[in-house]
Formats: sequence, C-alpha cells, structure tokens
Amino acid sequence: MNSTPILSIDELVENASAPDASETQEYFINMGPQHPATHGVLRLLLKLDGERVRKIVPVLGYIHRGIEKIAENQSYRQMVHLTDRMDYLSAIINNWGVSMAVEKAAGIELNPRIETIRTIFGELERLRSHQLWWGVMGMDLGAFTPFLYCFRDRELLNDIMEKTIGARLTMNYIQPGGLMHDVHEDFVDDVKGFLKGFKSTIDEYDQLLSGNVIFQERVRNVGIMDGATALDYGATGPVLRGSGVAYDLRKVEPYGVYDQVDFDVPVGTTGDSWDRYWIRIEEMRQSVRIIEQLIDNIPDGKHMVVKMAQKIKIPQGRYYSQVETARGVLGTWLVSESEKKEGAYRVHFRSPCFNNLWTLIPMVEGDLIGSLVACMASIDLVIPDIDR
Amino acid sequence: MLPERLQSICELEDDVTVLEEGVDKPTVVVPCEHVASLMAALKHDASFAFLLLLDHTVTDRVDDGHFELVYQLYSPVHNHHLMVMTTIPRDEPVIQTLSHIWAVAEFQEREIYDMFGVVYRNHPDLRRLFLEDDWVGFPLRKDYEDDFMLERPK
Amino acid sequence: MGIATDHLPGVVEQLPGGSVLVTSFDSVINWARANSLWPLAFGTSCCAIEMLMATGGPRHDLARFGAEVARPSPRQADLLILAGTIVKRMAPRLRLLYEQMAEPRYVIATGACTISGGPFIYNSYSTVRGADEVIPVDVYVPGCPPRPESFFHGLLTLQKLIKTESIRQPGVRHKPVLSELPDGIKVEDIQKEIVALLEGEATVDVNKAAQAKPWPKGT
Repeated sequence: MNSTPILSIDELVENASAPDASETQEYFINMGPQHPATHGVLRLLLKLDGERVRKIVPVLGYIHRGIEKIAENQSYRQMVHLTDRMDYLSAIINNWGVSMAVEKAAGIELNPRIETIRTIFGELERLRSHQLWWGVMGMDLGAFTPFLYCFRDRELLNDIMEKTIGARLTMNYIQPGGLMHDVHEDFVDDVKGFLKGFKSTIDEYDQLLSGNVIFQERVRNVGIMDGATALDYGATGPVLRGSGVAYDLRKVEPYGVYDQVDFDVPVGTTGDSWDRYWIRIEEMRQSVRIIEQLIDNIPDGKHMVVKMAQKIKIPQGRYYSQVETARGVLGTWLVSESEKKEGAYRVHFRSPCFNNLWTLIPMVEGDLIGSLVACMASIDLVIPDIDR
Repeated sequence: MLPERLQSICELEDDVTVLEEGVDKPTVVVPCEHVASLMAALKHDASFAFLLLLDHTVTDRVDDGHFELVYQLYSPVHNHHLMVMTTIPRDEPVIQTLSHIWAVAEFQEREIYDMFGVVYRNHPDLRRLFLEDDWVGFPLRKDYEDDFMLERPK
Repeated sequence: MGIATDHLPGVVEQLPGGSVLVTSFDSVINWARANSLWPLAFGTSCCAIEMLMATGGPRHDLARFGAEVARPSPRQADLLILAGTIVKRMAPRLRLLYEQMAEPRYVIATGACTISGGPFIYNSYSTVRGADEVIPVDVYVPGCPPRPESFFHGLLTLQKLIKTESIRQPGVRHKPVLSELPDGIKVEDIQKEIVALLEGEATVDVNKAAQAKPWPKGT
C-alpha cells in the first residue's frame, strides 16, 4: 500500500499554485437589462472565471420599437421625428442625416444659410453629447462630481437650443428642405457668450478627471484594440479613431460647410480606453473651433427652401447617405418604389452604436469585470440606437 | 471610385455586372452564389482593400418574389465606397455567410435573419437578435401580419 | 412600521379618543413617506436623460423634494419612475421589477411612450401601448419628453396623493391621475393658445374658410 508522501510547506505552496489546482469553476452572470452602468437596457450575458470575463454575449431587443417598419408607413417629413428618438444624445445630427438623404434623393438644393446653421447646430450637439458622456464616464468609474459639472454646463447649452427650437432633448429641428424655424435673434450672442466660458471649462474638465491617478489606472492600457480589429468589427467614430484610423466623414466626405472650415481629426495611438477618452475631449475643442469660425459668418437667406405644406417625393431608386454623429457613422438607406408615393418603400438606418457595440468582445474578453465597465463607458453606447 | 476600377471588379468573379440606374453609389450586382468569394477578394485584394463592412440590409421585393440584399463597403485605405447587390428567391432565402470575412457581418446577418428570415449558411450563431426566440413570423417582410399591430388611421 | 400600520388601528380605534390618535399617526406617517421617496431609476430611452439625469443635476436638483436617492435595485426603492418606451420583450421584466419593490410602492409614468406608446403606436409590432397595460400607474406626466419642471409637478402631485392615505385602509390604491396643471392655468387656455398659434402660422385662415363654406341649414 502506498502512503501519500508528506510534503514540505514549499512543496505545498507550489502544488497549490499549479494551474489545475487554482482552476475555478466558470459561471454565468447577467448584467442588465436593468443595470446602472449599461446606460439603459442593454443586457450582457457574461461567462466569468472568478473575476475574469471569458465570454460576452450581448442580448438585445429590450427597447426594439420597430422604427424601420414605422418609417415605411410614414412620409419623408414625418419620419424625421423618429430619428430623434434613436440616438437622442445627437438628435440634431440624426435629423440632419435623414434630411440629407431625402434632399439628395429628391434633388433639393439648399442655400448657404441653411447649411451653415445646420453645421453650427450639429457641432453644438456634438459638444453637448460629448459633455454628457464625460460626466457619465466619470460616474461609471466611481466619481460623482463630473456628473454635476457636466449638467451645469449642459443646461447652458439647453437654454440656447431651447430659445431657437423650443425643445430640450428631442429637437426635430432640421427638416428635409431646410430648418423648422429661423434662429432666435439672440442666437449669435448666446453662442459667443457660451463659447467664451466653455473654452476654459474644457480645461477644467481636464484638471478634474484626466489627471486623476485612479481614473488613469482604470482606463490606461485597458481594452486595447488595434485598427484592424476595429475595422473588422465595424467600428466607426471615436472608437475607430481611437485605434488609429483617421476615418471622419466630416473630412473624407464633407457635407454641410465642413469643407470651408479648418479643424483637425484627433487620432489615437494605442487604442485603449484612454485614447477614446482623450479623442472626445479633443473633439470638444475642435467643435469649439468650428463654431467660432462660423458663428460670425452666417449668410443671409431663407430658412426653408421647400415649404412645409409641400409634399416631398423622390424618384424611384435606392439611396444611401451618411453623416458623422457624435458616436460614428449614421447611414440612411432609402428605397423608393414610385415617384408618386410620398413615403419610402424601405427605410433602414445604419446606426453607429449597433456596430460599435460588438467591439466590446475583442476589447474585454480575458480582462477583468471592472475593465468591462470602463470599456463600455469609453465606447459611449446609446441603447435605443442599437435596438432602433 | 473611378469607373475603370468598377470594370476590374467585374473581372474578379464570374457574372458580375455594373449597375448604373436607380442607385446613387458605385454599384455591382453579383449572383448570390458568388457573393462570398467576391467579398473575400474585395477585402484581401490590396488595390481594393474594403476593410470596413459599413452596412448590410435587405429590401423585400414582394411583387417580384425576391429579396434584394445590399452590402455597403468602404475602404479607409483608398477612401472609396462600393455597394454590392444580389437577389435571392423569397421562397428559398438562403445565402452564404460573410462572418468569416468581417466579424461584424455575424451580427448584421443575425438582425436580417430576425427581421426577414434570410438563412445564412455556415453562420456560427444564427439566432434571433431583437425579438424573443418564440416570435412567429418576420416583421419587416411586406406580407407580415400581426393581430397586435395597429394601422394608422387615414 | 409593521405594528403601527397593521395592528394599531384595530386596537386603538376602539378606545375613547382613539381615532384622533390614528389620524395623527396618519399625518406623521404620510409626511415621512411623501418626503422620502426613494426612486428606482428605470430609464429605457430618451426620457431617462431628462427625468433621471437632468432632474438630478445641479440646476433642477431633485434633492429639494427628498427624492434624490435613486436606487438601481428595486428592493430598496418605493417609487418607480418609468422613463421611456416599454416594448413587448421588456414588459415581463418591468412586471418583475415592480413586484420586487417594497410596499407601499408608487409609479410615475413620464412621457408619451410610457403613457400610451407615443409616436410608436401605429405600425409597430413590438411597442406596448402604455405601461399601465403591465403595471398600475399612480401619476401620469405628459410630454415628449416632459420638462424637469413638469416632472416635479408630477412628483408633488404624488406627494399630495400620499398625504390623503390612511393606515385604516392599508394597500388601498388611488385612482390614477394626470399630473395636474399649475394654479391659474386651465386646459381650455392651453387649447385656445395652441389654436391661435396654429391659425397664426397656417396659410389658410381656418375660421374664415369655415364661415365661407355654405353649410346646409338645419343641421
């Protein structure tokens, strides 16, 4: 009969740290749909090994409202308001996307005033979106103060938008053929006053969060993704630019008056969460730069080239057009069956968040669960934009 | 993208034709059995380098009895955009998956399967994406009917 | 609270002067309940930004009404703020969340989608037409999305409702109410204003066109 050999303490420790002895049982955990860090109703099914994420399965559809089906049964004007409620943090840019698709298809020529005002509002919306993201990213990583700062400044922007548009969140301002109303008489002064203060506010944001040691530890070298992987997973916007691919529609396929203004496209180097964070901070500075160049030079003209009462119809065919929202490329796919019908046969939205979401898989698999929250915050997801 | 480059796409695979009417982007039409091989060539050929699959969607041409599949490709290397179209019959909607070429195709195809019931052969995980697993029917098909859905009053 | 709310009324009320005591208890308990509502942040879409984030922000400051302790877990909350569309897939989860909340529990439905399905009623195969098809709602706050101020009005309406409760009838629910209008403003005034606005901007003068039309007599 074999007696078990008596081991020394050193041998015991060595045995205990052998790979098979430390292996833990893998288990599944549900994150969401009601979870504070998923910013809505995203559900992630996580396969965990201790605190390591082995597999992520996103489960979608908790806010799937069937927007594409609804839009097929509406006219081109009516369908604009649906896009507000997809990516509600860049509502104006979404309006712009679908309006531009209709205008291109119907061959409507806009005057420089409309294009300039659209660009200014688009950049204000980008500012507002990035600003909210900054506050929420801080909150996700355990710092509550950024949230208070971001809402302090967001309300200032809300006031400016409200004066012209009358809404605080779902704008429905940009319409096929122009703008809903002309800008408020105080608009130019308000924006100038806001920008004056906001330039130093971005530096304040920087001082408050960017240099924080805990924050740096949470985001630096976390969720590294190279450019090839980002492209493979269909990422666009700051997520793709963070991985070093300078794909910004405002530069490569300019629309609005982006070809007349001077701005830079910030690009990351390592592709970690820090790069994605830094790019959005830089984009805020670039947005300020763009608005400053345009705000004094708004040309005169009408705010509408197609009257509201006039029906818009587009010739038979297939149309695809894109805009750069705060999160990436929003594509609008329109199919028109006949020139007589005042509505599309098929509408499809290529939403940036739906495609960006999947980059979580290469980013986080094999990493800790705490990094998952940091990565999710750095992708900046809006769930109704995923589900539509 | 220049027209002569479009012609060279037609040489990559059999039966590829250029579509000029009714589209606003450079477009090629390909029979459904050649889609996967053409796409692989478009991605890996360095002179095209379509590294980004922007979008994939379907139009239900119920009167013609087929589904029209569309792929939007973009090349960040050369900065050009290409639309690839193909049709599959409505009563047998089967096509080869592209998930081995672009990772995001897996999820875009799952959405299409959910909404239109297009079956992708060799897909790693073909399940419903937005709707519950026990949902009956494919809601974005033009002939979809549902007791729950309300018609807009005229 | 169990003894005070469940057993006390039956015993105390039979004593001389007992109903005075119960009424005093009522007012104390209702005061405490109304001013320390702990909301469950249930934001599904756009309204979440306005209802749960902007109200918690520095300008509007939900803490003034004692309801700033937003909980992500239903077991620690007694006020369910519904902010956003409810779809078929979410409905069973919403029911589950509601049932997990501690009694007494209240529900505020904010925004058009939560009240009726809003812009997603027609031709949608998945939107539930109002959260009240799934769970009972106490106060409706209309808007798309409502302003933070109108949400506060809904919250104050709920506080008023709570203050009319009695421990004599535990668990009795109120009829659902629409978040009422501020003093001095009537629905008719708003309707008049909207009509004036629409007519002012319309290319056709509605009244003139209606009068010009030869209506058949006697109808």
